[in-house]
Amino acid sequence: MSEEILNIKNLTVDFGGVRAVNNVSIALQPGEFVGLIGPNGAGKTTILNLITNAIKPTSGEINFKGQSILGKSPDRICQLGISRTFQNIRLFPQMTAYENVELGFHSEPHYSLAEAFIRTPHARKIEIDTRKKAMELLEIVNLKEHSHARASSLPYGLQRRLEMARAMATSPELLLLDEPAAGMNDDECNDLVQLIRQIHTSMKYTIIMIEHHMNVVMDLCRDSRIYVLNLGSLLAVGSPTEIQNNPDVIRAYLGERKQHD
Amino acid sequence: MELFIQQLVSGISIGAIYSLLAVGYALVYSVYNFTNWAFDGFMAFGAFMAFTGITSLFMPFWLAALLSIVLTVILSVGTEKLAYNPLRVRKAPRLFMMISAMGVNLATVNIINLIYGGTFRKFPVDNLQPIFIKGVSIGRMDLMAGGISFGVLALLWIFLYRTKWGLGIRASSIDILTASLMGINNNAVAMIVFAITGVLSSVAGVFYGIKYAVFPMMGVVTIKAMIASIVGGLGSLPAAIVGSMILGILETLVSGYISSTYRDLFSFLFLIIILLFFPNGLMGKSSDEKL
Repeated sequence: MSEEILNIKNLTVDFGGVRAVNNVSIALQPGEFVGLIGPNGAGKTTILNLITNAIKPTSGEINFKGQSILGKSPDRICQLGISRTFQNIRLFPQMTAYENVELGFHSEPHYSLAEAFIRTPHARKIEIDTRKKAMELLEIVNLKEHSHARASSLPYGLQRRLEMARAMATSPELLLLDEPAAGMNDDECNDLVQLIRQIHTSMKYTIIMIEHHMNVVMDLCRDSRIYVLNLGSLLAVGSPTEIQNNPDVIRAYLGERKQHD
Repeated sequence: MELFIQQLVSGISIGAIYSLLAVGYALVYSVYNFTNWAFDGFMAFGAFMAFTGITSLFMPFWLAALLSIVLTVILSVGTEKLAYNPLRVRKAPRLFMMISAMGVNLATVNIINLIYGGTFRKFPVDNLQPIFIKGVSIGRMDLMAGGISFGVLALLWIFLYRTKWGLGIRASSIDILTASLMGINNNAVAMIVFAITGVLSSVAGVFYGIKYAVFPMMGVVTIKAMIASIVGGLGSLPAAIVGSMILGILETLVSGYISSTYRDLFSFLFLIIILLFFPNGLMGKSSDEKL
């Protein structure tokens, strides 16, 4: 039990009369990479919003590293080690790529305001360290040469990568990726799959990824599980092959074939 | 020529005081998208606290100024906690925050009026002799007000652009929810922002009190800071400073060459003309660059 890094139990949320998430349970071991798929409106993003407490659940439990994170503020949840990217990119467009990443290190270094103003060696050392770490992250996502560009001036694909670097800067243990490949072509998808796999293995993150590109999901989750949501409920859980051959899943995505007699 | 230079120096010092107020408005506006009308009362409060420190507690000027800053910061942060924070937590429309701010302002000004009465008082500082440079007389108070105001603004600039707290506040001004998902504590940001506005209003109140007089309605001058920040471009700090300097210099030149009676007429006329040609203010890029 205590081994699980994330344990979601019977999570339900109602928006007015609509049950957006219905009795969903998800459990993740540390280091796992699971996919979360489903047709539009299945409640995938809502689950991520529930984990980061942007939305309050109607009932259910969310435990992270053995402690309940329900009702904790988003910044506290971030500090506990959960970070995310967004389906529609939400960078700070007026700030540089570097500043976007630097912000993620915000909660970490401890030095006082006075130290920052006088620029004591201690404060300066932390600043230099932060700078180094931020540049390393930008290098991982291949954005080092764009570090001083405004986030809004970067092309779409690079903004997605920058968002990933920013999420990594908060040193998360659980990373939530919301459609990282949205709007990308096949070549870009392949690069992204490589990048995500590299991040997953080198950083030892536990990752939940929402994605509509089936190639991307099937490729990245080939050694683990995919959760399929439909209309707020869990429809199926299993390996990519199991999911691809699951009649319920096929029906949810493609609709039912009319029976002929 | 002497008159021009004298008026220019005086204008810069008045502009510097307006800058403090305009920056206070712009800071709150950029993060929380509402006009903090309570600022007006805080300024009078700051001036009266320094006044009381000197007259009743027999403090030296610097100590009284410090007392005023501390108390105004407490008032400003307390207002945030009691009046704005509950509204923000309940996701109230920003109009409600503005109305709440007006209420705080009315309460502050009237409490001051009840305690001290509505008379104009001279701020109790020694009559400082002006300095004469080549026949041009320059008020020491103008130099001090200008110098200290710019010093405060410079510290604020360093804080916002050179420290991690500043980075957090700038991020919050762009997207407060995403900032909190990146680990930035919204309540801490609010406390810092309102503490800064407390400092700004107190310093502005003390200098304005020295330059003119101390009275409960003295905060009405913040309307000039509003004009200045609109002329510059609402919600942007550099624009607020530029707008304030232009307005301050314009006002003293009008007072010097035309008549001080028409000073405010020209200020508002100036606002109308600027808005006709620059609807977003001189440096306003609508909502793009805020801090």
